[in-house]
Amino acid sequence: MRIIPIISIIFFVLVTLTGCLGKEEISDLALVTAVGIDKGEQENILITAQIARPAEARGDAGAGGGTGEPMWTAIAEGKTIFEAIRNLARFSSRRVYWGHNMVIVISEEIAEDGIVDVIDFFTRNNELRMRTWILVTEEKARDLIPVKTGIEVLPGESIDHLFRYSPIVAEAPKSDAMSLSMGYLREYTHPYLALVNLKSRGIAEGEDMPEFGNLPQAELSGTALFRDDKMVGKLKDRESRGFLWFIGEVETAIIPIEFPEGDGNASIELRDNSFQLTPKYENGEVSFDITLETVADLVELGVPTGKSYDELFTLLEPILEDYIQEDIEMLLNKLQQEYQLDSIGLATYFRAKFPQYWDDVKDDWDELFPDMAIVVNVSAEITNPQLFRLPTKPVKE
Amino acid sequence: MQLEEKLEQDFFSCLQQNVTEIESILGSPSDLVKRDFTIVEQVNLDASLLYIDGLADSDVIENTILRPLLTNEMNESITALSSEQIKQVLTKKGLQVPSISIVANFNDGIDAILAGNALLFVDQYKQAFSLSVQGWETRGIEEPQSDTVLRGPRDGFVESIRTNTALVRRRIRDPRFRIQSMQIGKRSKTDIAITYIEGLVREDLVDEVLQRLNNIEIDAVLESNYIEELIDDSPTSPFLTVQGTERPDKIAAGMYEGKVAIFVDNTPFVLIVPTHFWTFFQTSDDYYTHYTTASYFRFIRYIAFIISLTLPSFFVMLVSFHQEMIPTQLALTIAAGREIVPLPVLIEALLMETAFELMREAGIRMPKPIGQAVSIVGSLVVGQAAVDAGIVSPIMVIVVATTGIASFAIPDYLASVSIRLIRFPILIASGFLGLLGFATTFVLLVIHAISLRSFGEPYMAPYFPFNSRDRQDTMIRKPFWAIETRPADVKGNEQRAGKNQKPSPNKRRKTRYKR
Repeated sequence: MRIIPIISIIFFVLVTLTGCLGKEEISDLALVTAVGIDKGEQENILITAQIARPAEARGDAGAGGGTGEPMWTAIAEGKTIFEAIRNLARFSSRRVYWGHNMVIVISEEIAEDGIVDVIDFFTRNNELRMRTWILVTEEKARDLIPVKTGIEVLPGESIDHLFRYSPIVAEAPKSDAMSLSMGYLREYTHPYLALVNLKSRGIAEGEDMPEFGNLPQAELSGTALFRDDKMVGKLKDRESRGFLWFIGEVETAIIPIEFPEGDGNASIELRDNSFQLTPKYENGEVSFDITLETVADLVELGVPTGKSYDELFTLLEPILEDYIQEDIEMLLNKLQQEYQLDSIGLATYFRAKFPQYWDDVKDDWDELFPDMAIVVNVSAEITNPQLFRLPTKPVKE
Repeated sequence: MQLEEKLEQDFFSCLQQNVTEIESILGSPSDLVKRDFTIVEQVNLDASLLYIDGLADSDVIENTILRPLLTNEMNESITALSSEQIKQVLTKKGLQVPSISIVANFNDGIDAILAGNALLFVDQYKQAFSLSVQGWETRGIEEPQSDTVLRGPRDGFVESIRTNTALVRRRIRDPRFRIQSMQIGKRSKTDIAITYIEGLVREDLVDEVLQRLNNIEIDAVLESNYIEELIDDSPTSPFLTVQGTERPDKIAAGMYEGKVAIFVDNTPFVLIVPTHFWTFFQTSDDYYTHYTTASYFRFIRYIAFIISLTLPSFFVMLVSFHQEMIPTQLALTIAAGREIVPLPVLIEALLMETAFELMREAGIRMPKPIGQAVSIVGSLVVGQAAVDAGIVSPIMVIVVATTGIASFAIPDYLASVSIRLIRFPILIASGFLGLLGFATTFVLLVIHAISLRSFGEPYMAPYFPFNSRDRQDTMIRKPFWAIETRPADVKGNEQRAGKNQKPSPNKRRKTRYKR
């Protein structure tokens, strides 16, 4: 039996002579959690990388001690994104590792010039994930990246969580590398990204206290619209919500409405929604019908009333319908009149329904879009008053 | 004269010559008892009784051999009778020993003495009587140390093969229960018995077992593992293809499933063949508790198996090669723990595994009070101090501890040790080659396991090859009313339970109120 010694020698040689090529322990890596892209001087690109300091980010888990800062932010410059990232290595003591990057923030300046290089780099690179959130900021990205925002230890994580739990507000689309490259690569669609901005909403102790606090926090609200790879416009909060209907991202949303009788407000939370977009093609005219049905909860009623819930619901339903309709019409108005940009992908709906007519209209779609008739029908049903079995009655008649 | 030549001789007719020869063969040991006396007073026939003190029961000898022979007056003169006739006279009138046989040469005579029989020589006869008076100190039947159960019988095998076969026979009152005996070991002459139920067992299986046992040439068999290693299908594999157990109920259950049990004298561990991989994850408890609980426990054990086999290698692979596969939060926690650890993950894992194995091995062999001290000191050193000193990361301690505990959750201790052994090649391969190494070694292991056979049965059956009928008692245990058939290895008589055994009120009402 010579074969066993031979095999063991081969195995031994294989294991010892190959060494540990390609082995990089997790503690030899600089884990980037958020990155910002800005325009630098002379057409250069500025990369701001937020890198986690694991020992500080995870309190007692290891042997702590040190600066107390959970992150280290560094800025590097270069002609291209790749060069800038490589330049980071000049002063990073560990290899910069992108596998755990959660957020890419693009400044508005860059976005307006075109983000084709960003899309290319972040989809081509094998370390980056397609589930990385991509946002546009109106400020400098390098101002936003180092800001300590949210409850999480790492700001990148805070922004990540902001996306995950944003449906409750429904004011910004969930835009990740996947949806961006899809919007960019597909025919007759245009990409969109969420907008993030700094607002002084946090409170730090022992300093002058303006009305809304003194700590800048990253706020996720609004949508940046692109024509091909160039940013052309922005949607504000209500228009954004209208926009979310079209990309199918409204799960729950809180709608504040004015109570018609008496002084006060009510809040409605949307629960089950169905949104149907029906393309029509008659006499060479493209038009769309939107049927939106929603079942909602009454979550707040700030006005005491003598009415029963049935009466209240019949009173509130038309107001809710009007509000949602207004959202969508504001959006359509902006898209059709102001930007003349089919960001909501009506072309794909039309193409799917009428492939036979698509060739007739595809070349003129951008010209046709502003004049398309889009009819919105909203029907809302409020069914659930939550825990109160009877409406709050006025104490004194 | 050589010993072999001496053994070949037939007995002499002179009593004194026989006794001297036996004493010279055995070297006049101090425990050889020789009792000379005369029987049948009229003729004063000389007789001599030889036995080994401690193997033969002297009380029995006194009461059933000496007293009847010395007090009974035998009327007939037996001088002229042949051995066979003397045997009849002695058996019918004189001796009260359960079994008497006649031996004619020194070889058989010595064997009889060494087996604990008493050898009775009568002057002028060229034959001797071997009287079975075996009786030596044995351990009583106790609860087995391994394979303990919460519910179920608490008797375990002992060192006496006769007691052991009786323990099994008490569970199988089937006339087709068969025992075949033999002796293995040139010098030890260890009694071996194979048992099976005829009609359930495949006949070629019995032949195969007998053939493998007969091929054994060894000087001594001290424990059933000697037999196990000599009849193993895959002697170089880390997987066990023969199962040993201390529990009579396990052996009985195996025989009802058409398996063959191999009893070895002087050990409480009885072997059962063929053995499938999955049987190492089954305990007797599985059959003595509710089937849902039993299936759940089995599920836990399979998880324990996967963990004890792969967890450290999986961890090492992720941390040193595939950081992108770790969820971000966890990656940060791991990185934080490793921040001041000076060793590569692989070395760290091997270090901790070594520390754990040391603790386990030290704890097992030590007397109980010291064993506890070892485990306390060990867990303090390895658990807390090593982390505080920054030698290992806290997550590695968790990984190794979980792996260790998981390996203890595998019921068969020897199987769990063999899994622990396989773990190291996988660990080293993943530490050097990442996912590639992990996958390669794991696939090699699976290929190897599938290629194994245990006495003609595929080792991984009923999954490889797939047999849907036998699945009723592998991953889960179906309730007894749902397992109607025996496993597929059983030949003939496949039905083990009647149809429609599921208890239900409707069925009862039908019979009770039938008018």
